[in-house]
Amino acid sequence: MSVVDTLHASQPEVPSKLGTGQLVGLGILAVLGVLATRYVSGALPIVLAVGVAALVPRRHGAGVRIPLAVMSGLFALFVVRLWPGTEVQEAPVEEGSKLLSWLLGLPIAGALAVLFLPRQSVKTLKATTLGIMLVTLAATVPLLSVPMGRAFHFNQDFLWIERFGIHYHVALDGISLWLVVLTAFVVPIATYASFGSIDTRIKDWCFSLLLLEGAMIGAFVAMDLFLFYIFWELMLIPMYVMIGVWGGSNRIMAAVKFFLYTMFGSVLMLVAILYLAFSYQKLSGELSFDYFDLQRVLLPRETQLWLWAAFTLSFAIKVPMFPLHTWLPDAHTEAPTGGSVILAAVMLKLGTYGYLRFSLGLFPEASAELAANLAGVAVLGGILYGALCAWKQDDVKRLVAYSSVAHLGYVMLGIFAATPSSLEGSVLQMVNHGVSTGALFLLVGVVYDRRHTRMVDEFGGLAKPMPVYAALFVVATLASVGLPGTNGFVGEFLVITGTFMSNKLGHFSGVQAVGAAIGVILGALYMLGVVQKMFFGPITNPVNEHLPDVNGREIVALAPFVLAIFVIGLFPKIFLDPIHGAVSRVRDDLQARIEASPPPRFYQGAGKLLARRPEAPVALAVQGK
Amino acid sequence: MTNALMTLFPPDAFTLVAVILGMPLLGALINGIWGKRLGNNAVRLMALTAIGVSFVAALLSFLALDTLSHARKDEHVRLVWTAWEWMTTSGKDSAPIGIDVRFSIDALSGVMMLVVTGVGFLIHLYATSYMEHDEGFARFFAYLNLFVFSMLVLILGDNLPLLFVGWEGVGLCSYLLIGFWYQKAENAAAGKKAFLANRIGDFGLICAMFLIAYYCGSLDWKGIADHASNLVSSHEAAQVHVWPLGGGQYTGVLSFLQPKSPFTITAATAVGLALLLGCTGKSAQIPLYVWLPDAMAGPTPVSALIHAATMVTAGIYLVCRMSFVFVLSPFVMTMVACIGAATALFAATIALVQNDIKKVLAYSTVSQLGFMFLGVGVGAFTAGFFHVFTHAFFKACLFLGAGSVIHAMHARIHDGDLSQDLRKMGGLRKYMPLTHWTFLGATAAIIGLPGTSGFFSKDEILFKAFINRSEYHPALKGTLERLHAFQPPTWLGPVLYGVGVAAATMTAFYMCRLYFRTFWGEFNGWKVGTPSEVAAQEHGEHGHKDHGNDHLQIVAGPAPKESPWPMTVPLVILAAFSVFAGFLNPGFHIFALPPMEHWLEPVFKDVMESGTIAVRAGGEHLEFPLAAGGVGAFLVGTSVAYWMYIAQKRKPADAIAAAFPRLHRLMLEKWRIDELYEATVLAAVDSLAETAAAFDQWIVDGILAKVSSAVVVALGAALRVLQNGVVHVYAAMMVVGLTSIGWFFVVPHPEAVVTETAGDYVIVAGPGMGYGYRWDADGNGRPDTETFSDQATVRVHLDLGKSQVVRLEVKNAFGFTAGREISLSRPKPEPTLELGSLGGQIAPMGRQNGGQN
Repeated sequence: MSVVDTLHASQPEVPSKLGTGQLVGLGILAVLGVLATRYVSGALPIVLAVGVAALVPRRHGAGVRIPLAVMSGLFALFVVRLWPGTEVQEAPVEEGSKLLSWLLGLPIAGALAVLFLPRQSVKTLKATTLGIMLVTLAATVPLLSVPMGRAFHFNQDFLWIERFGIHYHVALDGISLWLVVLTAFVVPIATYASFGSIDTRIKDWCFSLLLLEGAMIGAFVAMDLFLFYIFWELMLIPMYVMIGVWGGSNRIMAAVKFFLYTMFGSVLMLVAILYLAFSYQKLSGELSFDYFDLQRVLLPRETQLWLWAAFTLSFAIKVPMFPLHTWLPDAHTEAPTGGSVILAAVMLKLGTYGYLRFSLGLFPEASAELAANLAGVAVLGGILYGALCAWKQDDVKRLVAYSSVAHLGYVMLGIFAATPSSLEGSVLQMVNHGVSTGALFLLVGVVYDRRHTRMVDEFGGLAKPMPVYAALFVVATLASVGLPGTNGFVGEFLVITGTFMSNKLGHFSGVQAVGAAIGVILGALYMLGVVQKMFFGPITNPVNEHLPDVNGREIVALAPFVLAIFVIGLFPKIFLDPIHGAVSRVRDDLQARIEASPPPRFYQGAGKLLARRPEAPVALAVQGK
Repeated sequence: MTNALMTLFPPDAFTLVAVILGMPLLGALINGIWGKRLGNNAVRLMALTAIGVSFVAALLSFLALDTLSHARKDEHVRLVWTAWEWMTTSGKDSAPIGIDVRFSIDALSGVMMLVVTGVGFLIHLYATSYMEHDEGFARFFAYLNLFVFSMLVLILGDNLPLLFVGWEGVGLCSYLLIGFWYQKAENAAAGKKAFLANRIGDFGLICAMFLIAYYCGSLDWKGIADHASNLVSSHEAAQVHVWPLGGGQYTGVLSFLQPKSPFTITAATAVGLALLLGCTGKSAQIPLYVWLPDAMAGPTPVSALIHAATMVTAGIYLVCRMSFVFVLSPFVMTMVACIGAATALFAATIALVQNDIKKVLAYSTVSQLGFMFLGVGVGAFTAGFFHVFTHAFFKACLFLGAGSVIHAMHARIHDGDLSQDLRKMGGLRKYMPLTHWTFLGATAAIIGLPGTSGFFSKDEILFKAFINRSEYHPALKGTLERLHAFQPPTWLGPVLYGVGVAAATMTAFYMCRLYFRTFWGEFNGWKVGTPSEVAAQEHGEHGHKDHGNDHLQIVAGPAPKESPWPMTVPLVILAAFSVFAGFLNPGFHIFALPPMEHWLEPVFKDVMESGTIAVRAGGEHLEFPLAAGGVGAFLVGTSVAYWMYIAQKRKPADAIAAAFPRLHRLMLEKWRIDELYEATVLAAVDSLAETAAAFDQWIVDGILAKVSSAVVVALGAALRVLQNGVVHVYAAMMVVGLTSIGWFFVVPHPEAVVTETAGDYVIVAGPGMGYGYRWDADGNGRPDTETFSDQATVRVHLDLGKSQVVRLEVKNAFGFTAGREISLSRPKPEPTLELGSLGGQIAPMGRQNGGQN
């Protein structure tokens, strides 16, 4: 076995050993580096980058060295600059109100631009696509320099279709911040990795990826329900195409299943959105689809429950929650690696994000009334049932898909429990799941590219021919089972602790917390089981004896995930601090509404228009005056 | 020098901890990533330097701690270093609970830290030679260094989550090292088993964490200690409701589940049981001990370091660390003591008959850990912890000695399993004098030869087991006793003492058996069987007979010889400590060293003075009489072993085994507990998972996806029949359609929308082609007008509590009429018509639009 089974073990020839002189030299350099980081401010990232570049094992060329060095430098810079309590030297960044539009517009414009590139020039296509994605990633940096607090930032709001009161309204708070960053972070990695295995219809592939990225970012920042719905549906199409065109043998069935499940939910959501908008019109005289307007509508219990159900069904399908989850294993199994990564890492988060933002934000009373029941579903149907199902899968991708059901059970449980700790944990766990499951899907893709099978039984003893691969797989596994020090632990711990403290789950908060903790055992059961079967023991299948270890492209694609696993695990405060404010706002909003009309029969009477929430951005009508 | 130390590293920013922790981590990283490139010499240098520097730093810290504790008499002093803020969770009522990456050294963790780095260094040194020819040399030291780092995090962590980082970290390293030779499937399986058993324990720890966060509002040692009193409360609401779950109410069909009065336990008991589960996992106690014997699949230095000296004692460390929580619940204390005593006895019975040298030592470790649990369970925290301390030396020495023997045997036999087999050994004292003498020293310590370290620590535990008794905190005694809370029975002390003495007797017997069969008599390793013969010998009818060398052949090879110095030096040092460390024992003031009890006194001071540990009347005077049990155990066990294996040359042992063949076999097969677990718990989880997977495939996916798609397909099929391209059918359908529409227009539709403001009802009739309306608005049963007019609106006023029926009649252009009654009522307290009015308002709007179109 080999967690750190060393980036060199599979080298064909034994490398020359270093002499004493060289060792001493290395030591001196290392000491110099340490001193530089200690006494020269800002030197740490550079020293780290140079160090990593120098120490990458010899068989890799500059194509691996430089990206790895840059990545480690950037991660170091990230940690240093965002360290809580670090004083920002410069004046606070001007909140460019168009930044979010750039973020979602760049990929969409890029997708259109790609259409005009010649289909034959594959290199140009790939470079353009990656370039646009990296620029988008760079454009998320200003988001990080703004202290998030409780408010919404980068607010951009204008009337788009005046007749129906449809706004183009985008804004960002601490909850969507990390999800936007996650999207911009994961998509280029998935794209880069996919260029190694996708070799047909590159142009269409690039178009789909860019469109998908734009739509996903858009869905995370849209603050107008109509706009949100457009992005929500827009991301369906590229993913449908990706599964259907580049997928595995049973791709059409999987693509259709994915599409129908998701569509079914979203149509109901559309009806609910329209109803809500018309109710607002009834009460205020103006038609509006704006989130902060619709948030003011207080509907009587029956109506609210129906609308809440329409929204929640749509999100629960996306998450997915039991018993609506069966599209996920099929979609994951058939999707190409890049698609699986994006689907697991980002798209599923739209379900959890949507529940937190819209179901909880627009219908707090209904959410609170049903939280205890749904938490039971999340624990029994998600965490425990998902884990047990995962254990019995013989296809690695299906296994990881079911593990997603279990992990997102934690996220949903945290949202239902609605304590500060559980909500922060949930949002962090969304990012964590993106990172560790993204890494796992990439890793499964590596072995799929070599053997064109994902059946566990086909493998065995892979640690011998592919030691680096085995080490990386074990790291991702440990993150997935929530080993302390990796990202998974922080999220699960916060969710479980927060759940126990919750007063929203009736008498059962303790039982739910214990159930969620049992999921930790089951997680180890299925993940270590698959690791043991795939990597340890003798090599049972002679085909596997000479499988090549991970190549440069795969290392570069996996490195950021591995770095993120440890950065989040060790320094979660960087991530939790911006979430904190937004989460307490959500909680306060929820609390205020519940206290005004407490469950179980929370509100009877005609629809009412409440005051605008204090932290909501200034309304457009007021802005104009 | 100490002054300089204190100035450089102030107690509240004791950055030296960074060195103690950082060096092993650095070693792990460097050896792990660049190990092969560096070469074995550099790896060895790195690994030894890392642990060596860490040990020196630990010594300095200990010195600093000593100085500080002299300066502040009788205080619980700590050296603290906060590395960074880790995260913030929230407790009861959303109160934030900060969790920092903070390390602290106090007397308890200080001693443990010295043991880990000190014994760790010796074992590293030993391993440099033991693992010299292994392919994975660098990988091995990377893991081993990582283990030391994790163990130090476990010990030095200042709060429960940080301890948990180390707790799982050592579990991970143990997993990796057990499966170090991963190409053998059994090794990997043993590693997984260890990790899973530990995970079950970790589940307990997670539960303990959220309970403590809830009740104490803090997760660091000081905060928990300060608020531990919240864990016991006579308040019924503050108790943990076990049944009904969470304190709910069952009604309806489930009401038969509702007990008359809810079954509750104090929070202290809940926390204690959860922690205890964690400790049984890590410290291999009943019921989670099964992983430790299998863990011997790892290299022997690993067995010595992780599975004997350090990691497995983490459970006892945690009980000591959280002693203030444990003592609050006599039930948990009794559980700890009983589990400890039971494990000590049970594991000892298995060790009596094993033939694998490492298996004997493994079960011996489980048994000794049981003794430690017994000690801490009866409130003798110092004694229990002292046994951790002495055990670290003698068990490490025994394992390393065994490793030395295996090393020598392997050089001769070249077979992993046979070179650990006692039946192939014998007479090794001639060939390996140093190993023999050190092994003898350590054996003397573990069997409790008076004067050696093991004697003092074990004796103290047995004594305290007899005289101590757990009680409720005096402040709560009255209330809890009224609630019929658990009281440990008075006969418990003597029973625990008896079980302990029995286990100690067995310890003496099996350790002497091991020693005699390894080092005395004739060497049996000249002849070895081929693997098939060995298998036949194991499973055949002569299965458990030790002789029967008929099929065996002489294998050429060198005679066993003494191991090189890096292996023997650690043995000598450890043996010396095994024999003499007892003089650090409570009560002896030799070499001007402060006795251990004095050292640890501030740590357990509050607990001891809290009045929760009562002493049997007159118990203080029983120390010497009760010591007879320990000495007797030593004498009896040793003499029986000598008589059986030396004087009578194993004949009595074989005779007993032949007399009770089934019992012997059962003990040899470890009471078949593994099989029991497989048949019950594992089988249950497995079938549950099978059911879940099948349910998912056939029910969830089957019904939800397949049935709903089947419905759609069926509808499609039905409609397809109509779209058949035959013009007659289309024409017929057109006729049906037009007739329906025509009928709709021919028949009038009396519809109305009612709106109300303060008792004034406005009724608007729906429009239609050529409609005329006739109203009965006053409710007298007759139309208000004879003729139909185009008056589509009427107004009605109702007072509170009144109701009325309005009749509307509609006549259309074809002269057909239709009527409908609209009942209005205005209830007194609340206008009911307003209820759900949005629903009522929006729907008509749609209808009106439809009408206009």
